[in-house]
Amino acid sequence: MSKRNAVVFVMLVVVVIGMLAVGKYLDRTRKHGPVKLVGDVRNVPAPNFELPTLDGRRVKLSDYRGQAVLLNFWATWCQPCKIEMPWFVDLQKEYGKDGLVVLGVAMDDTESAKIAEFAHDVGVNYPVLLGTDQVSDDYGDVRSLPTTFYIDRNGTIVAKVVGLLDRKEIEDDVKKALSASRQRAATASPSPAVVATSALAKEAE
Amino acid sequence: MKRSPLLLLAFVIAGFGFAQTPGEKQPSVIMAPVGNVQLRAGGSTNLELDFRIGPDFHINSNKPTAEYLIPTVLKLNPSEPLMIADVKYPAGEDMSFAFSPNEKLSVYSGDFSINTVLKAPASAAAGTYPVKGELRFQACDRSACYPPRSLAVQFQVTLVKP
Repeated sequence: MSKRNAVVFVMLVVVVIGMLAVGKYLDRTRKHGPVKLVGDVRNVPAPNFELPTLDGRRVKLSDYRGQAVLLNFWATWCQPCKIEMPWFVDLQKEYGKDGLVVLGVAMDDTESAKIAEFAHDVGVNYPVLLGTDQVSDDYGDVRSLPTTFYIDRNGTIVAKVVGLLDRKEIEDDVKKALSASRQRAATASPSPAVVATSALAKEAE
Repeated sequence: MKRSPLLLLAFVIAGFGFAQTPGEKQPSVIMAPVGNVQLRAGGSTNLELDFRIGPDFHINSNKPTAEYLIPTVLKLNPSEPLMIADVKYPAGEDMSFAFSPNEKLSVYSGDFSINTVLKAPASAAAGTYPVKGELRFQACDRSACYPPRSLAVQFQVTLVKP
């Protein structure tokens, strides 16, 4: 193969791969909309959502504007999730008066009765929402569980944690979420190192 | 042979394009290739299927310690006239993890094997028959868990007349 042919071949390979990648992205976008959050999501507006709860209500994240939200993605088959859920129960009790709301998003592919039974057994005292692929995608394709987002009173993400931390670290992030919006108002600094497209977060309704 | 470096480059580029999502490690379970399996019509044969779990991950055994945990299950669908007479899972290893030091979980990690027994009726015609199926598992590492997945299982059985 001549040098010129080799260059042409490489260019063809790159073009074909590029077309496949774009096609894959467009297909995904058509199904679920653009992936909302990637990379460091701190200081990014939390994507709004509307999800059903175990007791048949529908809940929007924007319903909790003005409160700090601990948004925990979990599943019944996730043993580390089961470990931290009682901690969330305690934190809800301790910091609820300060404006903390814990929301659990169950990512199980099973009937809600089983999820409800599990949540009851663990003693969950906060709303459990039934997750969807859409909300998973909106939050950066949540695959590893538990994944927890700490959102301040203005609806801005202050921390994302994948996997189980100890209770102290979780409580520190809760305190950060409760105090972050006050700090942000005081400093009014732009967000550093944010990797997200600007049109990605849905506007709070 | 001159094309080899170009093909290698193409694979490297493809690897960049379709690698796993950055920041997200994904568990892997692979199956060792199955050699030529011979079975006499009217008889049976044992077949060991060998699996390997990626480092740092574990999957629940076939008999996990809690009802809500998803067991590892092998489902085989042999084409007629083959039949699966038995599937024997290894016992899980009782392990505790940092996220739950006081609780033992029954898991597989590293390499494990599932023993199956194949049989065929005496009237079966000689020939080569495919067996297809899947291994369903749910993996975790030391701090997080991953959605249930399935690994395709496929091999051929050569049926001979006695």
